[in-house]
Amino acid sequence: MGGITDIFPKTEFLILGIPVRDSIIQSWLIALVILGGALWAHKRFRTWEPRPWQLVIEYFYDYVMTLVRDMGGRALPEVIPLIATMLAYIGIANLLGTLPVLQAPTRDINVSAALSVVSLGAVWYFGIKERGAVAYLRQFLNPLNLISEISRMLSMTLRLFGNIMSGELIVAVVFSLVPPVAPVIFNALTMITSAIQALVFAVLTLVFIISATGVQSRS
Amino acid sequence: MQPEQILQFSVVTTIVVGASIVLGTITAALMEGRAVAKAFDDMARQPSVSDQIRGLLFVVLAILESTAIYVLLICLILLFANPFANIYGL
Repeated sequence: MGGITDIFPKTEFLILGIPVRDSIIQSWLIALVILGGALWAHKRFRTWEPRPWQLVIEYFYDYVMTLVRDMGGRALPEVIPLIATMLAYIGIANLLGTLPVLQAPTRDINVSAALSVVSLGAVWYFGIKERGAVAYLRQFLNPLNLISEISRMLSMTLRLFGNIMSGELIVAVVFSLVPPVAPVIFNALTMITSAIQALVFAVLTLVFIISATGVQSRS
Repeated sequence: MQPEQILQFSVVTTIVVGASIVLGTITAALMEGRAVAKAFDDMARQPSVSDQIRGLLFVVLAILESTAIYVLLICLILLFANPFANIYGL
């Protein structure tokens, strides 16, 4: 727990000359934990006498389903797993930063950029799947649409990165000023911001997907 | 690089960062206040839709907040990764 510069991502080791940062290791660990937890929960799932963890998972899934339905994606049920995974992954990744020794992997701008590339890819995939390749790609004859796509991705990246980074920075600064109790308040604030940013990222992806497919206007 | 120039550089950077944080957060705070006031107004007027309004309010606030976050990012770049500092070898 050193100075403020500790919260910037560090290079841990090199693979074939490519630097591997600690945020990459953390994000792989989170992905493995989510995957393992999902497989374990799938195996232990039972219809009678559901245990508390199963109820939590069902509540979470129901929440995402309601979210998708409210935003107008009733005709797109295959989008629910994507949004749920995104919400769980980014939520866990952001909330990792409030634990004492750990740091959120999304404080690295590369992780946020990778997540927004996933979001953009999902938008294109669902758009092409719903409307056909020619009909969907025809809109990019107008270069303004391409620019708006890129700037959308950029703003999603910077929003996630900036919020998480600023939260960590504020906690680090307050910790270096008043170590005893004061960081707790800012940690609580950071927790709220982290959860809301995960929700915002998922909801924005959902809104972009729905506007790209145009299912809302059809139904 | 002379010591006076380094001092000058850091003083200018600090002043600019402080001023831009202040100016950048003013508008975001004002607009967020307007959004929250409007949302609370409507929630008081129609309590039946208050849950939907609350859910949307958080999302919209986070999006409004992002303009202030951009200012913060610029300030962080100026403070910790200033491109001109590398050029002039500070």
